[in-house]
Amino acid sequence: MTTSRSLWIQGLLLLVILLVCVFPFYWMVTTSLKTQVVALESPPVWLFEPTLANYREALFDDGVLRTLINSLIIAISTTALAIVLGVPAAFALARFEFRGKKDLWFWFITNRMVSPIVLALPFFLIVRNLGMLDKHITLILIYLTFNLPIVIWICTDQFRGIPYDLYEAARIEGASQWTILRKICLPLAMPGVAVSGIFSFIFSWNELMFGLVLTRTTAKTAPAMAVSFMEGYNLPYGKIMATSTLIVIPVLIFALLASKQLVRGLTMGAVK
Amino acid sequence: MPGKVPRKTIFSFIGPSVIALAVIGIVPLLYAAWTSLHFYNLTKLKRVKFIGFENYWDVLTDSVFWEAMGRTFTLLGIALPLQLGLGLGIALILHKPGLTLLKTLARLSLVLPMATTYAVVGLLGQVMFNQKFGVVNQFLSPFGGGNINWIGDPTNAFAMIIFWDVWQWTPFVALVLLAGLTMVPDEIEEAARLETKSWWTVLRYVQLPFLMPGLVAVLILRTADTLKLFDMVFTLTRGGPGSSTELISLMIQRVGFRAFDQGLASAQAIILLIITIILSQIYIRVFYKEV
Amino acid sequence: MKFKKMLGTTALAASLCFGASNVMADGHAWSLEKAAAPYAGTTVDVVFLLRPGYEAIEAMLPEFEEATGIKVNIIKHPYENALGEQVRDFVAGGDLDVALIDLVWIGNFAENDWIVPLDKFTSNPELADPDLDMDDFFPLVLNAFGGWNGTVYGLPVDNYSGLLFYNRCMLEEAGFDGPPETWEELKNVYGPALTKDGKYAYALQSKRNETQSADSFARMLWPFGGSFLNDEFKSNLMSEESLAGLQFRQDLMQYMPDGIVAYDHAETVNAFSQGDVAMITEWSAFYSTVVSPETSKIADCVEIAPEPMGPAGRKPALGGFSMAVAAQADDAEQAAAYLFIQWATSKANAGEYLERGGVPARKSAYADPALAETYKFIPALVESWQDGVPEFRPRFAEWPEITEIVQEWGTKIMLEEVSIEEGVTELGARMEEVLEDAGYYSGDKPLAQ
Repeated sequence: MTTSRSLWIQGLLLLVILLVCVFPFYWMVTTSLKTQVVALESPPVWLFEPTLANYREALFDDGVLRTLINSLIIAISTTALAIVLGVPAAFALARFEFRGKKDLWFWFITNRMVSPIVLALPFFLIVRNLGMLDKHITLILIYLTFNLPIVIWICTDQFRGIPYDLYEAARIEGASQWTILRKICLPLAMPGVAVSGIFSFIFSWNELMFGLVLTRTTAKTAPAMAVSFMEGYNLPYGKIMATSTLIVIPVLIFALLASKQLVRGLTMGAVK
Repeated sequence: MPGKVPRKTIFSFIGPSVIALAVIGIVPLLYAAWTSLHFYNLTKLKRVKFIGFENYWDVLTDSVFWEAMGRTFTLLGIALPLQLGLGLGIALILHKPGLTLLKTLARLSLVLPMATTYAVVGLLGQVMFNQKFGVVNQFLSPFGGGNINWIGDPTNAFAMIIFWDVWQWTPFVALVLLAGLTMVPDEIEEAARLETKSWWTVLRYVQLPFLMPGLVAVLILRTADTLKLFDMVFTLTRGGPGSSTELISLMIQRVGFRAFDQGLASAQAIILLIITIILSQIYIRVFYKEV
Repeated sequence: MKFKKMLGTTALAASLCFGASNVMADGHAWSLEKAAAPYAGTTVDVVFLLRPGYEAIEAMLPEFEEATGIKVNIIKHPYENALGEQVRDFVAGGDLDVALIDLVWIGNFAENDWIVPLDKFTSNPELADPDLDMDDFFPLVLNAFGGWNGTVYGLPVDNYSGLLFYNRCMLEEAGFDGPPETWEELKNVYGPALTKDGKYAYALQSKRNETQSADSFARMLWPFGGSFLNDEFKSNLMSEESLAGLQFRQDLMQYMPDGIVAYDHAETVNAFSQGDVAMITEWSAFYSTVVSPETSKIADCVEIAPEPMGPAGRKPALGGFSMAVAAQADDAEQAAAYLFIQWATSKANAGEYLERGGVPARKSAYADPALAETYKFIPALVESWQDGVPEFRPRFAEWPEITEIVQEWGTKIMLEEVSIEEGVTELGARMEEVLEDAGYYSGDKPLAQ
């Protein structure tokens, strides 16, 4: 009797969790299918004739499509770069002994804590002097400031988890450190690398401030685009929500597909 | 235990990362330090001049700066306990046996808020919390709250910011704590449950030790992220009404890119950086003591 | 300064004569096609806002591009970002060829040499349209939007004046057969009569951005005889008149919707179009929004009047944009940019611009009395441009910093986080600090606003 009641309560609470997490997305998608007049209906309506006009307008007239492509290019490139640079560093931090190792690790990690506004100001001035405003490469590089620490953090943990014997055996056979990393440790650490890659991608895709400050047109990212519809004269809510949906849905699908790795990554540093 | 590795090898592994982060992470900071010692206004570049620590003095004595700082920590002080409380509750519900399918679904749905673009959360907030056509007031109207002015009232706007921060980050806390709960060996937990019926006793004496590392990590990351919080508030309220939701990063952005006073903004940014470093040092010290 | 001013005007006058005589001497007429021939294929980069006046130009643009072979590349920004985007482009030596200048930015742009004085082009007979007719622009508008310190840089393109939009049906229902003449009347008579049943007499857009400074703070300062600065450029906000204006704004809030400090133009116009608010003071540019049945429930009830008078007279809000040639552009781009600006603001196109939802600054565009029936805002607009306050908001280079201060403390006052006296004391002190740094008090800089 008590167990069935507590099961009911548990089920109810789980449903509430589910609803609270999902409802905003439902509302975002339905608003994106409303015309401006329907969107401004008070109180809001739940049943209406959906239209794709907002998507058509956003994608093709306002150039959201191009900003989505920009975001994709930038997020993939910076993730790849962070992994190429970060994995060997993580391997070294996990496997080699050297002076200042702890400090170095700490320094890598603190980069994750620094507010982007601290870097956005000087970065803008430097990039301006170098004539590199509004270029993809600029964002790809500056996103390393938060992606590299993530890759190093997660991968160092992962490399530490690999049994030492494997490593030693390869050493005795005379393999170089690079060979060991490539042939033995990397395949075993692949889950960790994947997790850090997923994180880098999501963080880069979602980033707003650098995108806002360091781009204008050619390299403009999708979040910066979404913000630029907010004109005090007229708030096209349907279009803003359509753009939001276009930005968020890909990353949500990606996150759901990779949710196992994502949760592992989130909790990795936290539970060890 | 590990064998000696030649310096050159170590450097070949770690050098590129160090150089990359130094160039993109430290050089800008040095530049900011230089800027912060100058009168440096983007619209008055003809008049750039060295002024020593005047910008720092202005920041430290500016009530507006400290109010923004206070607001940021108020947000942390309210949102974090909520996130911890709700997160722990969710973790315990998900940890209870039974209802596998529903639990899987709930766990999956928890991933969504965290992955959402922060700027979009703010835009969504504008739509959902609008006084007239927002769905939140529609939900509240049966309870007599159908006409709440969320965006236009300073207190309500702050509450709205807290709501979205809690919505987006409670799942993170829940998942971290859930991972901690699953670390508790089954036999220990079962033995404890035979001893006592009180879930609180189990939580306090059996599960809590396994949750501690997660809690500390949450504390560190949430503190850092609140000091960084910009996107969601920028798109939701732009710091308004008045300055009631102007957090520290919004304020620095405003001074640097709307009033164009890069010198003053750099000084503010560097003071923020110093506060961040001091806080993470304190946390890390506590962290190492606890574990 | 006087000398420079004189020089500027004479140069301008001379150039106009020169342009005209040139046509006579040459024997054939100037044409846009011919003038643009050397620049065909040039691309002109320009920032546009997401507002009706710009949509109008965009719609007309194919005609220009076809005639000239010049490509106009429009980069759209919300107003809130437009200044930042342009400043960052100019300091970075970016690729904008035209500067879009809100009247309060002109001092800043001119002192940084980011824009080119117009006479460089008007004095060139190859470029200058003999029909340019500078005298056809409302002088107040041309000087305030496009001129700085006696030199004309830009031609007015998107032009605003503050107007009183009122809902005739609501007013009639409450027993009024016309709009209030004075602010006092609006507050004391119309306010109580129209504020009931969830409806409000008036809404004053006061969001903490340029709207707070321009639409809210300054709007209440001037009609009561107040001003930002006195003759010595010290704060005049503590003066009896300034305080009276701000006190009036505070008192008037009881007849406005709650949370007015979060109202930007969109919210205000929307409240009016939904019939929730009986009167608003808004820019002429919103006319098309409030009279279109697609966006307004009360399209048939909309009437327009000049802004109410205060003890110091009628001082309607003044705002608007000019386009100027950017100094960073190369010669061909500058010439092409000038041709575009000249075309967009020309007498010949003013009629079509008006029809498509723009508000031209050409006197000739409003000459036909029949127009006032289609566009009800015209009489009030023309009246307000006869005699206005160009320094409604000071236009000097320091405005971007000062407006931030006004926005912050202005909203604090409205929210009653500080008293009016405390607020303006703080505001004045911070404003004077900026002006001190800029060198106005040491005599390094002329007192121009």
